Amino acid sequence: MHIMEGFLPSPWWEIWFLVSLPFIIIGIYQLNRLVREKREALPLLAVAGAFIFVFSSLKLPSFNGSCSHPTGTGLGAILFGPCIAGVLGLIVLVFQAAFLAHGGITTLGANVFSMGIAGPAVAYLIYRVGTRVGAGTYAVVFVAATLADLATYVVTSIQLALAFPGTAGFVGAFSAFATVFAVTQIPLAIIEGAVIALVFKYIVQLKPEILTRLNLLSESAIRRLREAAV
Amino acid sequence: MYETLDGYARTNRLGSISPGLKLFLGLASILLCTSSPGPIAPLLVAVSLSAAILILARIPPRVYACTLLIPVSFAMMSVIVILFITGGGPVLFEVPFLPLAITAGGANLAILLLARVFGGTCALLFVALTTPMTEVFALLKKIGVPTVLIDLAMLIYRFIFIFIAEADQIYRSQVMRLGYGRFIESVNSLGMLVGALFLRTIDRGEALVLAMDARCYSGTFSTPGYSRSVSPRSFIATLIYLGTVFAVSLKTGSLQFI
Repeated sequence: MHIMEGFLPSPWWEIWFLVSLPFIIIGIYQLNRLVREKREALPLLAVAGAFIFVFSSLKLPSFNGSCSHPTGTGLGAILFGPCIAGVLGLIVLVFQAAFLAHGGITTLGANVFSMGIAGPAVAYLIYRVGTRVGAGTYAVVFVAATLADLATYVVTSIQLALAFPGTAGFVGAFSAFATVFAVTQIPLAIIEGAVIALVFKYIVQLKPEILTRLNLLSESAIRRLREAAV
Repeated sequence: MYETLDGYARTNRLGSISPGLKLFLGLASILLCTSSPGPIAPLLVAVSLSAAILILARIPPRVYACTLLIPVSFAMMSVIVILFITGGGPVLFEVPFLPLAITAGGANLAILLLARVFGGTCALLFVALTTPMTEVFALLKKIGVPTVLIDLAMLIYRFIFIFIAEADQIYRSQVMRLGYGRFIESVNSLGMLVGALFLRTIDRGEALVLAMDARCYSGTFSTPGYSRSVSPRSFIATLIYLGTVFAVSLKTGSLQFI
């Protein structure tokens, strides 16, 4: 859910820049530390960022024939944590604005907050809590990715409703935006969750050492998942 | 499609003009569009920068129209909501059997927003189609953006095109094997595509670590800086253009269509 260039009026786009800024600063700080400690981290993060861009420019199968793209940042957040996913989200959004004219420069702050910060934070929290409670891994990944997508769309609706409350007031405007977007976004979120869960399954079957190296799944958990698949 | 957009940035006729000036022109136009109180100034920006893109930079019109259409169609969805929830002024149209109405206030706001999106997108595309990313990176480095961020952005930029080609290949072979026939099949195929793509990207990343180590990577990339001086004539022309747009936006601020 990109907000287009020029859509947010003057006080609001500056406000969202200010809201996103601290997260990005923390992200850059973490990134600096990570790169200094592990030199191999930078290329891995770079391919992950490019992966997010390509993934989010793929067209998802949809029921109603609308143009629907995944946000893709949910996967990045599960893999690298929310703050670094925010920095990746920032770079990917700038490239999307420059190469595809999706989003824009003044609305970058608002888009970074909804897609690069709020969505990934939700995905990360659900994944961490879910795996600690001991729920099935694929189910947790599905729920995390789906809710991350929905969080992005709720935040976008809030941003638009704050900027354009109209005569209906904030609550009325929010429900109007949310209803219009829900038509495309709720099926989209469920499909993205399913696709990402399948991606996870594919990685577990073919190259599980990536997941253990990123500290996402213990070796025993992977053995259990692989045995269950056979 | 993606490759061509970036390709035009390298081969267009405005390539010899200082990237700093083009970036300044684009960003200033975007700011003028978003802060303009009336729809005339953004439309002026849209028309004049489109003319610059098509005539001065010689970008093929079909490519430009296709790229422009995507964001404007996205914006329509939100504009429709604003059309109905914003009140003020006489009622122009009522939806039968539903408590929905379009008023003059809502229509004016919708027109203003569409004009701003249109103008802003044209200004964005002006920068995107005339300034290669590598020159933007050099510029960002000069104004003090953290090096780690720029290095990461440069690497991502390089890999995006490789992975798009790879995803395209996988997609074609899946389509040839009837992987997108039914809905469930297409979800399954897309999962396989993205999974395979992810594994390949990680392999590429590991290969890149090796390649960079072999070339004595020390933590920063050193890139040759471009410096292209701003010609006074083009600088003055840019200032006159921006001043005109600003004056138009002040003059026509209270003008409303409906």
